[in-house]
Amino acid sequence: MTDARSSEQRKRGSLSVVRPAVLGAEGAFETFITITSDGSVNAYNGHVDLGTGIRTALGQIVAEELDVSFARVVVILGDTAVVPNQGATIASETIQITAVPLRKAAAQARHFLLARAAERLELPANDLTIEDGLIRGHDNRSVSYGELIADETIRLELADDVAVKAVSAYSVVGQSVPRVDLPAKATGELVYVHDVRVPGMLHGRVVRPPYAGVDAGPFVGTSLIAVDEASVRDIPGLVAVVRIGDFVGVVAEREENAIKAAAQLKVSWKPGPVLTDLSDIEKALRANPSTPRQLIDRGDVDAAIKAAAKPMQRTYVWPYQMHGSIGPSCAVADYGDGAIRVWSGTQNPHILRGDLALLVQRPESEIDVIRMEAAGCYGRNCADDVSADALLLSRAVRRPVRVQLTREQEHAWEPKGTAQLMDVNGGLNTDGSVAGYDFVARYPSNGAPTLALLLTGRIAPEAAVFEMGDRTAIPPYDYENLRVVANDMPPIVRASWLRGVSALPNTFAHESYIDELAAEAEVDPIEYRLRYLKDKRAIDLVNAVAERAGWTPRPVWKEPEADGDIVRGRGFAYALYVHSKFPGYGAAWSAWIADVAVNKTTGDVSVTRVVAGQDSGLMINPEGVRHQIEGNVIQSTSRALMEEVSFERGAVTAREWGAYPIIKFPELPEIDVLMLPRQDQPPLGVGESASVPSAAAIANAIYDATGVRFREPPFTPERILKGLHGEQPVAPAALPSPAPPADLSRWQNPFAKRGGVLAGIAALCAAAIGIGAAVLPWRAIAPIARPDASVYSAATIARGKELAALGACAVCHTSEHGIVNAGGRPLETPFGTVYTTNITPDIDSGIGSWSYPAFERAMREGIHRDGRHLYPAFPYTHFARTSDADLQALYAHLMAQTPVRAETPANTLAFPFNLRPLLAGWNALFHQPQPLQPDPSKSAIWNRGAYLVEGLGHCSACHSPRNALGAERQGAYLAGGFAEGWEAPALTSLSKAPIPWSEDELYAYLRSGESRLHGVAAGPMAPVVQELAALPDQDIRAMAVYLASFNETADRPAHDALAAKLEAATAVATAASAGARIYQGACAVCHEVGGPPLFGSRPSLALNSNLHSDAPDNLIQVILHGIAKPAVTDLGYMPAFKDSMSDGQVAELASFLRQQFAPGKPAWTDVAATVGRIRQTIAR
Amino acid sequence: MRLTVNGRNHDVDAAPDTALLYVLRNDLELNGPKYGCGLGECGACAVLIDGVAARACVIPIEGCAGRDIVTLEGLGTREHPDPVQDAFIREQAAQCGYCLNGMIITTKALLTRNPHPSEHEVLEALRYNLCRCGAHIEIVRAAMRAAGHVLEARD
Repeated sequence: MTDARSSEQRKRGSLSVVRPAVLGAEGAFETFITITSDGSVNAYNGHVDLGTGIRTALGQIVAEELDVSFARVVVILGDTAVVPNQGATIASETIQITAVPLRKAAAQARHFLLARAAERLELPANDLTIEDGLIRGHDNRSVSYGELIADETIRLELADDVAVKAVSAYSVVGQSVPRVDLPAKATGELVYVHDVRVPGMLHGRVVRPPYAGVDAGPFVGTSLIAVDEASVRDIPGLVAVVRIGDFVGVVAEREENAIKAAAQLKVSWKPGPVLTDLSDIEKALRANPSTPRQLIDRGDVDAAIKAAAKPMQRTYVWPYQMHGSIGPSCAVADYGDGAIRVWSGTQNPHILRGDLALLVQRPESEIDVIRMEAAGCYGRNCADDVSADALLLSRAVRRPVRVQLTREQEHAWEPKGTAQLMDVNGGLNTDGSVAGYDFVARYPSNGAPTLALLLTGRIAPEAAVFEMGDRTAIPPYDYENLRVVANDMPPIVRASWLRGVSALPNTFAHESYIDELAAEAEVDPIEYRLRYLKDKRAIDLVNAVAERAGWTPRPVWKEPEADGDIVRGRGFAYALYVHSKFPGYGAAWSAWIADVAVNKTTGDVSVTRVVAGQDSGLMINPEGVRHQIEGNVIQSTSRALMEEVSFERGAVTAREWGAYPIIKFPELPEIDVLMLPRQDQPPLGVGESASVPSAAAIANAIYDATGVRFREPPFTPERILKGLHGEQPVAPAALPSPAPPADLSRWQNPFAKRGGVLAGIAALCAAAIGIGAAVLPWRAIAPIARPDASVYSAATIARGKELAALGACAVCHTSEHGIVNAGGRPLETPFGTVYTTNITPDIDSGIGSWSYPAFERAMREGIHRDGRHLYPAFPYTHFARTSDADLQALYAHLMAQTPVRAETPANTLAFPFNLRPLLAGWNALFHQPQPLQPDPSKSAIWNRGAYLVEGLGHCSACHSPRNALGAERQGAYLAGGFAEGWEAPALTSLSKAPIPWSEDELYAYLRSGESRLHGVAAGPMAPVVQELAALPDQDIRAMAVYLASFNETADRPAHDALAAKLEAATAVATAASAGARIYQGACAVCHEVGGPPLFGSRPSLALNSNLHSDAPDNLIQVILHGIAKPAVTDLGYMPAFKDSMSDGQVAELASFLRQQFAPGKPAWTDVAATVGRIRQTIAR
Repeated sequence: MRLTVNGRNHDVDAAPDTALLYVLRNDLELNGPKYGCGLGECGACAVLIDGVAARACVIPIEGCAGRDIVTLEGLGTREHPDPVQDAFIREQAAQCGYCLNGMIITTKALLTRNPHPSEHEVLEALRYNLCRCGAHIEIVRAAMRAAGHVLEARD
């Protein structure tokens, strides 16, 4: 865009065709065409290319009328500084409406240049020919446009009565031309608004209020209580936190830090307002206050219906849907004192400019909105909120700021395609004719003011009512008695135009109803329509589509022959999309014949084939028209089959693609596009028409297949099953989980996070004080000077390093982002917080003054050098089993570290847990500080494994259950426990894993962090595997041998066969619940067995121990928090879904996964409550 | 942190947990990979890591050390497009083009492991790449063309 402008200024002469500006100063004008003396052509249009290829089609029109080559024309769209103000890019108007003056301007320029050439060449104009801007006489003399312009500045005022070319003379228009933008898009060279980089640019993110998706009501702009700037003080490069009313944003030097800051910023909001309950759309729309507006009243509808032989009253409901742009909104703003520039993906640059002027109280003339290519938006960018967000942040920091919405914000806050309700009253006369047609639509308005205006309080958050629900509200059929009323009403949820606007729902009703009439009249539905269709082009189209599809008349519904569970059907629908302010005008005519396959057992509907016919008038770029038809067919099939915004307490809850699925490649119908040749007719808008018949054609096909009418999309499996079989319990009532056995205590030790058995505490105190008193006091061991590590051999130190890894010392003794082993990591316990200590050899704050005997006593007896008891969060009960040689080596390694001065924060334990002497009693009860004795009946490798596992490896510290006093239970070794909010599953035959653990799988898991038959290490286990990387293979093998001995003997072929069987039996074939859809949208990409390879592992959920466990904790943990630090990077990463899914959604997902992948296990109970509890805990 | 992107080494001054996507876009100024969902669901951010398709929005740069990263830009240019890019241009396989990066990268990865996929295999390979404009038909044709299938002309 800037290129076009600056190059224009450089050139000497030019010819422009202009008109006086609609708004602006006296003498201001708007330019449509500029031809410069070098022969280049710039064409300006106020509309923008939303990805439909309009840029290419407009270039063709200009090239045609100007008689220059297509390649010579540069089309400039939507830049407010240079393009004419032609309003919003909506309603498929660009070709039909806004291209008209452009075409005339091009023709006018050609006439002017031709006349001038005639003069110059002294030949009559009609003796001249033009080829690519070169005008030639019959005597072969020629002159180019550039030469005719030379250094003059010629400005022509656009005339009304310009003669344009006859269609028969067209050579560029009407030919398929490749899109001009695609080569750059396919190579990453095109600069979308998302790719704009301005010198000095910062990155911003916004934080949206909790009333997600609602923009009217007294709470809008007034709900913010406080923003805690201290909560983001640690974010590197943070530049500003901005708050204006309910508008909150952050600005940082780097994008990822802006993202972190926005996620981390503590913002408090007033308690959520009571929003309209949208669980029942029909009820909500009926309750919404409205004003009736009669659009037509012909004949005597009331009398006709009263006299009908067969009265038929029907209601059709349309859900809230999303535009679902693949690219979340983005803009860059640069707020300067004299000039403001905003790079935007808006659909209406001039209107946006007005909003921005209002927002920052600056004159429009100072603001330049530069329209860049953006992600397809289908009406969403009528409210390009992010441009205003970027401007507010740029104003706050006085630097250019780029803002992109998160996916979650885009889903929640995009103005939706609104819900709609259509009531049809009517019926049949005895002869099967239509008695009357009384149509009433209820359509919440979709004004969608720019959000920042509302959030900052610049405009009042009032729900404005517009006349909008009337598009194609009048049916295309010549009913004798016809009345149509549009009920105008305020929005309930924020909404903007969505492809097909109110015409798609209205047509769903018209075309479903006439199908119902035909069925009642026992007349073929196409034949029945033709009785009432008077428009010649419509009739031609309907006939052409019927012929193309091989339609066979179906006057009476017959049960189709079933193919197993599958029944097939075919449906028809037709529409002339009438858009814009009532009565509006027609775009292209469109008709569908849809074929469907309905699975009567699962409720799945697939659209297998669509014949889509269209009469578009003159097609500027026929391939471009075909792409629009196909795009509309695919998008509207998706909308009809699966799309519906979900709400919780009236706020939008679908915040990612699992909760709002759209059609995927394998679900595509075969599409047969039929484009009627009408090149002699005026061009019509083609951006939306083909979507308008969609839902009705599909519903009619489902009726044809099943004999059941569906009057409310989306046609999800649940709806189909309900329609076919009536209200059924969704699934067999889940069996209650068996009461957890008393021994499934979730204690890890007194320092486990999970609360518990407070009753035991009194006993602990009593016992401990009693026993402790007998053995007090403990002596301090005198400090020493820091030992010289060089007395130890390098081999010993290296061995000690391995042992430290086995003990995972650094995992606990290192704080987040802290120095290794310098301590300070908080361990949350039910009794308070314990901080791990500094175990670097610093004399004052670490263990530099510890002699070996002091170290050994700590490791074996849990006593600090100074005589204090250590809390058994420190697993000395295991470390005690280590050999003297290994403890020596470990000591050598620790002393050879670089000392780090780091004071350990004071523990914050409540009485009596702050009384360390009590631990003496605990030790007396539960600690046996003898080194491990080998079992002579076992192999050497088994004994080695036992030593590693039971000693420094301290596996059972997490993997064994604890008694009420927090000690590992006798007789339940490795039978499973809980640690840090995660279940540490049983490692013995008590394991819930569907396939028993074998030596090889244990080895694979401990070595690589993954067992194909069980899953990947996550949560607290991931860093353990990371540490184990330091150990040689034979030690890992020994651990695997030892642990495997607690399991049944491995049978590898049997295990593999079982895995294959489990995976085959649990393959997800249908998406019949919200949980299943979330799985397919969010999880399957990385977890579906046999899915396309992606970087990282592909854990098989059917085999995953966590799904088979009695407790859902690990599954919920990993869904909420993801895996940010895998054991090894080869495993790949799992994103955290905590900010993308509600507790209810996570619970639905977890419940689905349990039912699907562990079908033999009882459903988990209280999953939602567990999600809530785990959400509160700190993620590892 | 050193990253190898499109055959060149880049020393990047970003926190190790920074998603690769932001480093590619902001530090290396590559426009191909796009932010779409941040959850690995849509595929707009796809790149090749060691020849395998990867979702750059969920992979931190600390996981990319020593790996070979290729973006859309690394496949080819307007003047010298990769055969997959060329097939997408010839089949006009985009409308807005925001998802195009992921479609091309995913197709490239597919053809690397399976040079002659069937249409069914193409559909399954692209299952987790979302397109909202409905350019699917042309995208599948482009992938088939890139795989060497001779396509029927469209009437």
